[in-house]
Amino acid sequence: MAPPDNDVLWARSLHCALSGSDALSGVSLGVREGEILALVGPRGSGKTTLMRCLSGQLLAQQGEVWFNSSPVHTLGPAERERLRRDRFGWIDPEPGLVPELTGWENTALPLLLRGVSHRAAKTAAQEWLERLDIGACARKRPHALTHSQRQRVAIARALVTTPSVLFADEPTATLHRADGAQVLRTLTAAARSHGITVLLATHDAEVAALADRTVALLDGRRVGTVPPASGAEGVAACSLSV
Amino acid sequence: MLALRLARGAHPLVLTRRLLVAAAAAGVGFLLLCTLGYAVGHPERSSASVLRLLWCALPLAATVQFAVAVARTDPSTRPRPGLSAIGLGPARLTAIAAASTAVACALGSMVALLFYLHLRGDITGLPFDGAAADLLAADEPIPLAAALTLLAVLPVIAATAAGLALRPRTAPAEPEGAEKPMPSGLPWGIALVAVGLAVETYAGRSGAADGLPLPGRFDGNPAGVLAGWVLTAFGLAMAGPGITHGCGRLLQAARPGAVRLLAGRVLMDESRRIGRPLGVVSAVVSGILAAAALYDADTGSDAFGPLTGLGASLILACTTATLLTAALESKQGRAHTTEALLRIGAPPTVLRTAALMRAGALLAVFLPLTWLVAELAALPLTG
Repeated sequence: MAPPDNDVLWARSLHCALSGSDALSGVSLGVREGEILALVGPRGSGKTTLMRCLSGQLLAQQGEVWFNSSPVHTLGPAERERLRRDRFGWIDPEPGLVPELTGWENTALPLLLRGVSHRAAKTAAQEWLERLDIGACARKRPHALTHSQRQRVAIARALVTTPSVLFADEPTATLHRADGAQVLRTLTAAARSHGITVLLATHDAEVAALADRTVALLDGRRVGTVPPASGAEGVAACSLSV
Repeated sequence: MLALRLARGAHPLVLTRRLLVAAAAAGVGFLLLCTLGYAVGHPERSSASVLRLLWCALPLAATVQFAVAVARTDPSTRPRPGLSAIGLGPARLTAIAAASTAVACALGSMVALLFYLHLRGDITGLPFDGAAADLLAADEPIPLAAALTLLAVLPVIAATAAGLALRPRTAPAEPEGAEKPMPSGLPWGIALVAVGLAVETYAGRSGAADGLPLPGRFDGNPAGVLAGWVLTAFGLAMAGPGITHGCGRLLQAARPGAVRLLAGRVLMDESRRIGRPLGVVSAVVSGILAAAALYDADTGSDAFGPLTGLGASLILACTTATLLTAALESKQGRAHTTEALLRIGAPPTVLRTAALMRAGALLAVFLPLTWLVAELAALPLTG
């Protein structure tokens, strides 16, 4: 069964078990070109696993993944790695920068890995750092930067190759709220101006409000809405039973 | 007991490293016991016995260095969430590291004692019973207290050194990737190498055609040669980090691509960890090369016995193993960076090529250097 034409990324009934427990059970998803799609759900709901399946880092036991009308799930490991390097970008909750390299070298690393010349990679990296308001960090090593600056360097590293799809896995989870909001605004603005499709995994409803569309996950399944977490659950039961 | 229990569940590779420590300890213990045997058999030649004992200090030092390096890479000595949850913090983990080092070394010492008694003929029922009975003075009773004291030296020193190397620090650790200044030992190292070679040349000239100072041939004169060689070795060990740093700097110079950038920067940052054992290996190899050249020139020398060979191979094996362990420690320390690189799509071949490039650069610099120092050291004595 071929995917619809206007979907850049398309998954059908993904089943994925990680270390014995079902992380995904029957998730289907279509991502349209140029949209910002938020995957919401609490911790352990399968957001990261779904993104890893979609980006080809992980092979689902069942189900299909298509990128631009070509199958991803039938590719070998080396081809999936090349696809990830050439077409996808990835942002983790932790910046994951190389500690020995300076800010611009970290940003330029994906370009250098593709064999772009040193001068062109440096120019592109510095442009992206300027665009994300951290041009002053270009010559500093990661340990000398604040956490939000490091995270923005990581975002610049993911955007410098202008990928087709950007996977952002809780990009603001470890930041303070003000820093996080700023990082997210720059991320979404840059993605919209360059027509990059973004998959944004988050557990925060405010973050999800920045997206065009929201898909909710719970216990590895797609659900209509995520029930609000009630912190005081069981308080009444305790007072009754004791 | 916890140290033993943790050792039981360890990875085979970790156990192999500990067994290597035990084997090195057995070698050192055997050398020490042979010295004791010589002293018991020849009470009249006490200064020669002391000299033999002093020569044992070199393999002992190499073994202690190796034991500490193994303790540093041991996964069971690193703070772990599982153990810190039950209250085993850095202080107790240091004690565990010291205890496991002591256990490995004591095991080796025990093997050495059994082997020694077997060769003397005190333990029978195996091949080579009493094969070296004459050499080891089998007719004299072995002084038990002396033997046990000699055998206890290595476990005590190694455990203390491991404990000191892994002691919990009060100062906060330097953040990962902080720009480190260039190691300052390079000028001192070069100066020491030069002074050592000069001393050696001077002493070699006055000492005429006397062979290398080894047990039995010690007449006071070649002490200068030995002192010069020790100075040279210290110089090489001090210069190692600086040279390694320079290699890294050269690798990442002039518009590097991804491979050269990663290889060079990592080498610059790991120069202390890798450079020092590398300098020691270089010093040992150059010393062995110089000694081999001397023995080729000095035909009919009786100083090169099986025990000298055992000592030399022990030193070489321990220093090389220390270097490999340091490289492993550096790899372990960078594990999460490697993971992050793989996640952004860096092909594993790039990382492997970078590692090979580092090794190649170091070999290209240190091999000629070692050869040069060995030639210069042997020149005044053979020529």
